[in-house]
Amino acid sequence: MNVLISAKNLTKKYGEAPNETVALENISIEIKNGEFTAIVGPSGSGKSTLMHILGCLDKPTEGEYFFRGREVSKLSDNSLAEIRNKQIGFVFQFFNLLPRTSALKNAELPLLYAGVDKEERHSKALKILSSLGLSERVNSTPGQLSGGEQQRVAIARALINNPSVIFADEPTGNVDTKTSREIMKIFQSLNKRGNTIIVITHDPEVATYASRIITVRDGKVESDKKIKRRK
Amino acid sequence: MDFSEIFVSAFEAIRINKVRSFLTSLGIIIGVASVILLISLGTGLQKSITSQFERLGTNTLYIMPGNIGEGAGFAGGGGLQTNKLKFSDADLIERNVDNIASVSNGVESITSVEYRGEKRNGVIFLGVDAEFWTTGAYKLDSGRFFSKAEDSSAKRVVVVGKTIVEKLFAGQDPIGKQLTVRGKRYQVIGVLEELGSVVGQDQDNIVIIPAETANLQIGFDRPTWILISAASSDAISQIQDDVGELIGKRLSDDEFSVLTSEESLDIAETILGVVQGVFVGIAAISLLVGGIGISNIMLVSVTERTREIGLRKAIGAKNSDILIQFLIEAVILSLTGGLIGLTLATAASLAVRVFIPATVTVEAIALAIGFSALVGTVFGVFPAYRASKLEPIEALRSE
Repeated sequence: MNVLISAKNLTKKYGEAPNETVALENISIEIKNGEFTAIVGPSGSGKSTLMHILGCLDKPTEGEYFFRGREVSKLSDNSLAEIRNKQIGFVFQFFNLLPRTSALKNAELPLLYAGVDKEERHSKALKILSSLGLSERVNSTPGQLSGGEQQRVAIARALINNPSVIFADEPTGNVDTKTSREIMKIFQSLNKRGNTIIVITHDPEVATYASRIITVRDGKVESDKKIKRRK
Repeated sequence: MDFSEIFVSAFEAIRINKVRSFLTSLGIIIGVASVILLISLGTGLQKSITSQFERLGTNTLYIMPGNIGEGAGFAGGGGLQTNKLKFSDADLIERNVDNIASVSNGVESITSVEYRGEKRNGVIFLGVDAEFWTTGAYKLDSGRFFSKAEDSSAKRVVVVGKTIVEKLFAGQDPIGKQLTVRGKRYQVIGVLEELGSVVGQDQDNIVIIPAETANLQIGFDRPTWILISAASSDAISQIQDDVGELIGKRLSDDEFSVLTSEESLDIAETILGVVQGVFVGIAAISLLVGGIGISNIMLVSVTERTREIGLRKAIGAKNSDILIQFLIEAVILSLTGGLIGLTLATAASLAVRVFIPATVTVEAIALAIGFSALVGTVFGVFPAYRASKLEPIEALRSE
């Protein structure tokens, strides 16, 4: 397996001295293609900041970050936007679907910014939504969908550009236990088909679906271990 | 980036906030409607003034009291000064200046007339020499004009317009009847062809009597103007110079003006242009205010949709994609307002056509569309720029 993510001595500071706060301190992480990693830690541990930097949503104050072998920590906003668009899929706790917009249009949104034409957008989105069991719901708006369905639309949106990695930030934080299991099963099956998944969570139960757990505390990696994945 | 999708989502955003969008556009609606209406009124007025002058022909010159025209401005002009022209100036010119077809004195006023106890106010009153008819400015429908003899002997005869016939004579033939003008009875001898209205004034609401009668019977002792018809249009400038020199022997430069019909038209158009400019300028301020309203509501919209902006950025929207999206929304708001304003202005100018021949020109339409698009762009840029500069993680974090 080749290396997808390689972060060296990442430090993220907010504010100016003397009110400076250190969110991440000298974190080094390597994640290979095809891994299913859970980044866990209590709130305020810095796990969200880590995910933002790894997901190219934010830049580190210090350190180097190689994404698919390319140093990206100093890239321009537009270059980062392009990497997010083509290589990364995001799933958020609050789904972040566009209201009053159909599941189909929500799912195809990344393709819009990639400049893909209308017919291809439609057919790709339909295919992915169907594979997630939403073929009957393509024309429904988020308000007409259940929490689990909404998150599946968000997963479809994350998958549509066939990204190198999917970041899921507390993907089960806003759904019930049963739905939570369903969603984690989806990530598991996506991983089995070769997708690299990184889940950020404070819930140890959720982390058990992964094959590797990185624990972050006070801006540092506390532990990093492989586990036997849950069936 | 697919522009049709941007338009779809922009319309969607506007549709969701219908009332807010309408109120925001109202400034633009009012601004564009008033600018277009004023321009179309101005265009209409200009046309009717031009046609009025064309009726007199291009071979004519006017002598007017006071200094009117280029350089003098309007404030110091004409009517405010004592009129020092004399009726005898017309004879003087006719005898001493070459290439003249005719010279006529004219006195102008507003009067009331009466027929069998029925009174009509605000009638245009004109006293002219018999020579005036040769200019062809007025044509007869029936009867006759007064003669030179009737003029010089100050006969009480009158030629009336169609409106007088309709209102006072109930459409009956008035020829030979006695019309009371300023307390004295005049015999109606002719009826003018219908002229319609110019600048909202009914040109058929008129009575014309001999200038000498106006002088002796009523007491107009000085001409309001002297109209000179040239034998040919080539002689216009020679006549203008000669007349200026001749009258200049008696009067100083600022006591009289000799204007060609072209110059008179220029002056009328300049005055109209200034008045129109002031009104359009005032109306344009409401466009500015409307633009500020759009800016304001777009800022609110950016704040409300911070999460949406964050999400769009997270999944790959570039700053320029967000900028364009919000800019297009602002332009659509403004342009829709502009088109509604244009529709209202067109309807209003059709409605006032009865009084003033308002004309909505292609230029005015282009101006309305161009201006509202410009206002939307200018006032949409700042909110759109703010949206485009939002940090994706900050935007996603907001509730």
